[in-house]
Amino acid sequence: MAAPDELFCWEGDWGLPSVSSDCLVVLAYAQFTGAPLKLQKICNPWRSPSGSLPALRTNQKETLSRPADIIIHLRKQKFNADYDLSAKEGADSLAFISLMEEKLVPALIYTFWIEPKNYVDVTRPWFAEHMAFPLNFFLPGRMQRQQLEKLRLLRGVDNLETGEELEKELFHDATECMNLLSQRLGSQKFFFGDSPSSLDAYVFGHLAPVLRCKLPNGKLQQHLKTLKNLTDFCSNILLLYFPRDVRDSGGPKAAPQPDDADFNDVPDKRRKQLLSALVALGAMLTYALVSGMVPILQGTLEEPPDLEPIRYQDHEEE
Amino acid sequence: MSLAAEAFVSQMAAAEPWPENATLYQPLKEDQILLSDHASSIAVQAYLRMCSLPVQVVCRANAEYMSPSGKIPFINVGNQVVSELGPIVQFTKAKGHSLSDSLDDVQRAEMKAYMELVNNMLLTAELYIQWCDDATVAEISHPRYSSPYSWPLGKILAYQKQWEVRRKMNAIGWGGKTLEQVYEDVNQCCQALSQRLGTQPYFFNKQPTELDALVFGHLFSILTTRLTSNELAERVKSYSNLLSFCRRIEQTYFEDKSS
Repeated sequence: MAAPDELFCWEGDWGLPSVSSDCLVVLAYAQFTGAPLKLQKICNPWRSPSGSLPALRTNQKETLSRPADIIIHLRKQKFNADYDLSAKEGADSLAFISLMEEKLVPALIYTFWIEPKNYVDVTRPWFAEHMAFPLNFFLPGRMQRQQLEKLRLLRGVDNLETGEELEKELFHDATECMNLLSQRLGSQKFFFGDSPSSLDAYVFGHLAPVLRCKLPNGKLQQHLKTLKNLTDFCSNILLLYFPRDVRDSGGPKAAPQPDDADFNDVPDKRRKQLLSALVALGAMLTYALVSGMVPILQGTLEEPPDLEPIRYQDHEEE
Repeated sequence: MSLAAEAFVSQMAAAEPWPENATLYQPLKEDQILLSDHASSIAVQAYLRMCSLPVQVVCRANAEYMSPSGKIPFINVGNQVVSELGPIVQFTKAKGHSLSDSLDDVQRAEMKAYMELVNNMLLTAELYIQWCDDATVAEISHPRYSSPYSWPLGKILAYQKQWEVRRKMNAIGWGGKTLEQVYEDVNQCCQALSQRLGTQPYFFNKQPTELDALVFGHLFSILTTRLTSNELAERVKSYSNLLSFCRRIEQTYFEDKSS
């Protein structure tokens, strides 16, 4: 068997295997089809082969970045979740995926990256804490600018000034999209019968972060929770295909509080504190030694027993 | 259109019936209009004809700038101006004309999803071919787009538009696609539409809806617009039910003008 392909994706939190929608789509599809992938959960997009996440490095050393491309690649390798779909269902999949990309994704971008309270209280701290030094200083800001540009291009030009109106429009579109998805899902377990397909992966990937992440301005989450069949759909997929992540987190968590964050989410902080304390202590000691503030230590180090007889002799000679 | 403006327009719209002198503005048909704009314009015209609402088509070189959202086409009804198919459908609905009332919830969900599919794939592919394929840009898009203006204004406007479209393509992930991949995407989209249409006369039973108008607009433009290569038209032609669908709508709604 050839070596498995490597998938680089963002780390997970809040009971999810990954915090990014695109990564979740790819992970869900891989789990549905049982594709063997070597997972690399990282928090540094510069370490990924394509410079962005998710990224799949195939065993022919080819790099794929778009979720659609990755799914096509997996399909070519006979990991096909859409095998049982009829032609019409396949067409419906394509249509609903387009619906989500046009109506839901702009609202998601806004909720996580543009809305001031959410960005400052949740998104930016999460990325800043999980990224290594010195990326945590400038990368979240750069990601936000990229997302803002993407939103501006998706929706047209004049949306930078009218914050509240834009929010209402995006929210209206997103709720309409969620309602439509809910209507299509009905009371079924998955969108097309009893086994999940790529449409299920896309819907899960986009709705799961909304469901799980507790944001200060959580209008989307509130609306999603009123659509019980979509909520059950996401929880079901998490329980069936990502049981480890659900178990690790112990259910949906609130946005990390300052006390908890230090010791639950970032264990390195303790080590960093210890390290910085040691460095400070070492610096102070060195300064004390060099400047002669600690004479006793200096005296014992310079071996006084040898000096005394010489001095005595000098004294005698004089 | 923003939500508040939409609500306001709907309120105003409900007050008056459809006037006789409604006009639809688009760029100059012979020299200026490009594939994607032509598609959108035909879609709106088809929709209004399906609703039996009379409208006059007026060609203006600065139609793009007159439009409230910057997109073509837009209609001027009474003292209101509405642009793009989505808001126009809402507008006519407020006046009491609607094609999708008889659909149930699931069908309406599917209709909206397929309309987004067309917007997401067909329209984006058209924009890509027009503005990101160098051969088409040099031979067709730049000369046509800059035709009403003198040099150097025409050149500057054309380049501006090209950069804007290229930025959008990069943002949505189409920037790295090759022309072959775009043709393949168009093929997939047409396949999906063809599957959904099947052997029915229209997408939803016997009555046309706004989805039919939108699909007709795009397919008709692709089939009748001259591009550098026939590849796009060939891909569409390979689906015979889509071809007969276009012909049927053309005969039913557009040929009575000449007869």
